[in-house]
Amino acid sequence: MGRISRRQFLVLAGAATGSVLLAACGGEPAATPTPTAQPTPTPQPSGQSTAPSQAQASTPTTTEAVEIDLSQWSPDYVREIAGTIGETDTKAFVSSVVPLETTGNLSYWYIGPAETDPQISKDFDKQFWDAWESTYPGISTDVQRLTYADMLDKIRTAATGNAAPMVATMPILWGVEFAAKGQLAEISPEEFGFKESDFWPGALKSCRWQGKLYGLPTNNESMALIWNKQLFREAGLDPEQPPKTWEDLVTYSKQIKDATGKYGYGLVARQNHGNTPFRFMPIVWAYGGGAFDEAEESPTYQSTLINNEGSIAALEVYYNLFVRDQSVPASALTNTNAENTDLFFAGQLGMYIGHPSEFAVMVDRANKATGADKERAMQLLDNIGYALLPEGPVRRAVVLGGSNIHIFNERFVRGGKVDRTAARAFIAFRCSPEWSIKAVWASSNPGTLQAFRTSWMQQRLEQVRFLEVTTAMLKYGVPFPVVPESTQIMNIIIPDMIHNALTGKMNVKEAANDAAEKIQALMKQRPS
Amino acid sequence: MDHAGRGPAVRALPGRRGATKGRSRASEVAADYAYILPALAVLVFVVGYPIVYTLVLSFYETPPSLPGRFWTGLGNYRTILTSAEFFDVTLNTVYWALPSTILAFALGIPAALALNQGLPGQGILRGLLLIPWVISTVTAAYVWRWLYHADFGLVNGFLMQLGLISRPILFLDSPTLVIPALIVVNVWKTFPFVMVMTLAGLQTVPRELLEAAAIDGATAVRRFWHVTVPYLRNVLFVTFILLLISNLEHFTIPWLMTGGGPARASQIWSIDIYTIAFRSLQFGLASAYSTIVFAIVLVFAYLYVRALTKEDTVR
Repeated sequence: MGRISRRQFLVLAGAATGSVLLAACGGEPAATPTPTAQPTPTPQPSGQSTAPSQAQASTPTTTEAVEIDLSQWSPDYVREIAGTIGETDTKAFVSSVVPLETTGNLSYWYIGPAETDPQISKDFDKQFWDAWESTYPGISTDVQRLTYADMLDKIRTAATGNAAPMVATMPILWGVEFAAKGQLAEISPEEFGFKESDFWPGALKSCRWQGKLYGLPTNNESMALIWNKQLFREAGLDPEQPPKTWEDLVTYSKQIKDATGKYGYGLVARQNHGNTPFRFMPIVWAYGGGAFDEAEESPTYQSTLINNEGSIAALEVYYNLFVRDQSVPASALTNTNAENTDLFFAGQLGMYIGHPSEFAVMVDRANKATGADKERAMQLLDNIGYALLPEGPVRRAVVLGGSNIHIFNERFVRGGKVDRTAARAFIAFRCSPEWSIKAVWASSNPGTLQAFRTSWMQQRLEQVRFLEVTTAMLKYGVPFPVVPESTQIMNIIIPDMIHNALTGKMNVKEAANDAAEKIQALMKQRPS
Repeated sequence: MDHAGRGPAVRALPGRRGATKGRSRASEVAADYAYILPALAVLVFVVGYPIVYTLVLSFYETPPSLPGRFWTGLGNYRTILTSAEFFDVTLNTVYWALPSTILAFALGIPAALALNQGLPGQGILRGLLLIPWVISTVTAAYVWRWLYHADFGLVNGFLMQLGLISRPILFLDSPTLVIPALIVVNVWKTFPFVMVMTLAGLQTVPRELLEAAAIDGATAVRRFWHVTVPYLRNVLFVTFILLLISNLEHFTIPWLMTGGGPARASQIWSIDIYTIAFRSLQFGLASAYSTIVFAIVLVFAYLYVRALTKEDTVR
């Protein structure tokens, strides 16, 4: 080999360095960012117990489990079935779907624990990724943890630009839009080791578009009514008796405001914000209204009910609270639920609708408080009650919340390829009874019904206060209309209707009719 | 680039003068273009392509329920221009943008004049007055949202403690008060920009002229109107147009503080476009809307460019 000049050497060295850098940029996706060390079991916010460690070998696996009778669903039934199958063996289950020695690549996006979430949610998130890595060490996973506020815009843009992840877990309302555009892959529960009866029927409904299934539920939650017993006492109300009907709630709210000067009920009506429909639609359904017929057993979504008598009565409930009685926060029209949580935590609010995790969040905040603030916070914690949402003349209802997991179609995914085997392994793992429950320990409920029979559920019931209430509400869960226009209806048209009525821009009936016209116009735009 | 030095050399070669000059000029122009090519390429991709794509998309319907897009011709433009909501939003936008701009001038010009007097501690004062401008708009919007908040807000708390009000003022929750409340925030945020621009303009006014006018017995007001203002006129006009365009397209403050509410009372063009595109997923309609707004803003942009060109010609 001949000698090379210094210039030639520099050129060759530069080329070699460039090649290495290019290879690094275009190489395998980075593995999941979580460390491999197994985390220490996490103390519960209530300080009562510790979270369970990973699954110990036990039986049965999901497919062998006994059916759950949903017609029996109640707080007692939830307690009765919890622990009846012990701990499931996740490795055994997922290995029957995809062998553990499988190698491959996966890209995955999801809404991860936020800064304000209780510590236990963050700990279980870490534990989940550690367990996934140790179960399928050959599958390299590129994970993007997003916030609720970012994810929709980001994943829409990514899918439009053919840069979507292979797999994504998205809130229950979002999937249908992607399915309607052909961006999601059709799936069947069987390819992940499940059958349809393993999930809430309402939740599965939210994964279906034009008869085909495009996702599996990872978790489902429903909200409950949270009340401050101390304020009830001060207002001369029975602290152990929350309002049974929405009419009662209006009366109680006024009584609290009149007697204590504090706000009775935490009305939320910010425009363009998801908190608003989540708290308003349960009243609409309770009075027999709806955006469409989504509260019925087999909805057709053909014509709007937003201006029927029930919907108008529900809007009147809001009108009476905000305009007539002025018993709700003055800032309700620009508030999200976060402001209500603050008011409640400060002892300035009697009742509001909240998530299962709200109590854990308040415990976290109380633990961080100092001096007189801490004392006040602890006193508040002792006076918190959780109840089923009030009922209306037609039914008791709540929005069936939660998330579904989806696989994107190859042509919309970065690189144009989906490693379906890796995706199957991951979805089986994520929806396994163990991770279906642990991944949402304090914030939601497992999407896989068999998880309610595990001993983890028993531990949750002991550790997470009021869990049986929010779990019992699942029975009354109604999913938002499974139509691609749902986000526009729920985030724009419904809040606009509320604002039109509450600001006096229109009367209640006019506001409802205006909303109905908008929904009809929107549906007419849909090409046949 | 200085061409003067090469001229005589070219002229020294009679007979070949035209061709040589032409080649030389061509190579120089080519070099000039080469220098601006990277910037031009970035501009084409980052600005030109989105504009053209938006224009194309504005002729299509993009229903959220179907993949792809469908030709609708001028349908989207017809939908917007015949909708009563567009005119409500346009009124809101004018109501928001014009007073915001005028009031920023009403604060910015006196501040600049004061700072131009050579007051003691002028440097510190200038720094302090610049603070609103350098604070991020997102931070400012959140801080003001909390200041205005009907239940937790410092403003209401203060007024109630002083006994001036018995119930909170609904700054952001009242359809009549919301835009004035947002204008206050915007003026607070943008008046330093007017101040800085005016101050720069003031420093171009020849001191001799002002002194001569003073010797001739002109009062301070007359000196301002007859000497300073003519020098400032172009700077003020350009600043006004720039700020007006920025306010017409503004998004952050109303979006973060009210989300366009209550009852769409603070829904301005940018929020409406964003909502149609990213909440309703009607990208075609939003593109047509953007094109209409773009055409309106283009009028002001033309005035701005004309003012700058005029200034160059005068020089």
